[in-house]
Amino acid sequence: MRQRSLIAITAALAAGALTLTACGSRDDDGGGSDSGNGGGGTTVVIGVDAPLTGDLSALGLGIKNSVDLAAKTANKDNYVEGIKFEIEALDDQGQPSVGQQNATKLVANDDVLGVVGPLNSSVGESMQKVFDTAKLVEVSPANTNPALTQGVDWQTKKVRPYKSYFRTATTDAIQGPFAAQYVYNDSKKKKVFVIDDKKTYGAGLAATFSEEFKKLGGKVVGTEHINPDTKDFNAVATKVKNSGADVVYYGGEYPQAGPLSKQIKAAGAKIPLVGGDGIYSADFIKLAGASGTGDLATSVGAPVEELPSAKEFVANYKAAGYKEAYEAYGGYSYDSAWAIIEAVKKVVEDNDGKLPDDARAKVVDAMQNVSFDGVTGKVSFDEFGDATNKQLTVYAVENGAWKSVKSGTYTG
Amino acid sequence: MELSGAGPVEPGEGTHAWETPDGPRPSARPRGPLARRYDRHRRAVHSALAALVVLAGGGYLYATRPQPERPPATPPPYPSQVVDITYLEPVPSPGNAPTSSFSFAVLLSVESGPSVTVTRIAQPYPGLSVTSAPAAPFQTKADSARKITITMRVTECGKAPWNAGLPFLDVTLRNTRAIQVHSFILGQRYAQHLSDALQVACSNDSA
Repeated sequence: MRQRSLIAITAALAAGALTLTACGSRDDDGGGSDSGNGGGGTTVVIGVDAPLTGDLSALGLGIKNSVDLAAKTANKDNYVEGIKFEIEALDDQGQPSVGQQNATKLVANDDVLGVVGPLNSSVGESMQKVFDTAKLVEVSPANTNPALTQGVDWQTKKVRPYKSYFRTATTDAIQGPFAAQYVYNDSKKKKVFVIDDKKTYGAGLAATFSEEFKKLGGKVVGTEHINPDTKDFNAVATKVKNSGADVVYYGGEYPQAGPLSKQIKAAGAKIPLVGGDGIYSADFIKLAGASGTGDLATSVGAPVEELPSAKEFVANYKAAGYKEAYEAYGGYSYDSAWAIIEAVKKVVEDNDGKLPDDARAKVVDAMQNVSFDGVTGKVSFDEFGDATNKQLTVYAVENGAWKSVKSGTYTG
Repeated sequence: MELSGAGPVEPGEGTHAWETPDGPRPSARPRGPLARRYDRHRRAVHSALAALVVLAGGGYLYATRPQPERPPATPPPYPSQVVDITYLEPVPSPGNAPTSSFSFAVLLSVESGPSVTVTRIAQPYPGLSVTSAPAAPFQTKADSARKITITMRVTECGKAPWNAGLPFLDVTLRNTRAIQVHSFILGQRYAQHLSDALQVACSNDSA
């Protein structure tokens, strides 16, 4: 009798527990069985070209990792049915000739249906023709030189040189003038010393800055070109000091900009150095040292903390455990890769779920009409292959970090 | 050094004290009325107890059940991410505007999220002042757009942006998320019209 009661109690408890546990866990796993492999039969390779070694590798590795994250996300969600994405990342070392060899290598791999990269406009210039001849789509997250999409005479007559080239970054046609307006109107600087590294990006950006600065009434009190292979800028720093400039604009990248800023201040010119997205890196602050406080950079896009979509990217990037930071172009690289994934999806769906024989050409066509809400906002391209979303932010070095001070949107 | 401490002595086999069936039993206490009722309703009492235990256990399990992961409530978007201001065209200035004034129409639209209030419209150039109709502050709801007339007055021709390539408006936006000053770069048509209007306003002024 006693035993029977015990059995009854135990049974009742067990039954109750089971019922309640079942209620509680009903919504937990949604019934899905995502295991991350997409289960696809066809492999599509997204090529990546960026500087993975050398001075600019901080930015390059951020690009590579972000593309990798996009591919993994698409596979995990089985975003394109029957397709598994892989990446093939090549190191261009920031050199146009190496970039061109990489372009040839990527074209030779039939599984490559799109390429994200490169970082440098000069490298982009050297790759465009190779990709265009092979009808292989290229989406740069970082090239800002206007000529790449609008032709060399972009200031007078815009002509798109290559149909297969797209970019998610805003161009220097906006970045340079935006910086000039901030420096002249907000920072109240009227005399600028302009320096560039003679490269496509640096010289182009310095030119668009200078032009707008002069139009606003500012004076260019000196110009210099530096050799990016050296880190000794003492002669230039002395010239800056003697020019009476109240600000320096540098068209180039952080490996040179950091030491340049430091040496200008050491020469006695306690004036801010201003640059573009090429200096917007944590490494600039390390290289410029404590005297870099107050230096300014413009960069493409809105600050990450203002974009809800970017928050998810930041969390996923962290969770994926990449060693290197996503840096200035992480969000743009993810969006560039996702644009390729969207284009591949469209091509596959239009062809009864399979890749057509002329998949590369079809992906180029599909890319023109891609539109989605990405990490950096709405992603789509205009008739030149430029991003339609044109936001910019001015950052200042404060307490050893970049802090956003002003954002703008081009709506023209 | 060797350890010499001994653990607790465990009862070995046969070390338990066994009840001796033949031993003297403690005398049975007289059973009260409650105990007698219990004897009569033992099964019912056990069932009631079981039900109570099930209820208590169930309550505990229910209270500590794993919560399905609810996405955290997404905060409203930053106002600068949902507001668009585009340039439309030059328009006549309001009747009461000074002679050195000129006006443009812009379209302000709010894409989504809570209503956005424009608390200030400014422009960064010395030599120019700006007013708007409707006058700030004014509110615009999501999924709607409104035409705004921007009137600029030249205060000092020598300091006006005669030839700015990409002039912009600085607009202070507020919604339940944040207050932000955002620059809207209105493009080349606006730049050209601003330049033209400045030429006219300043030539009138000096005439």
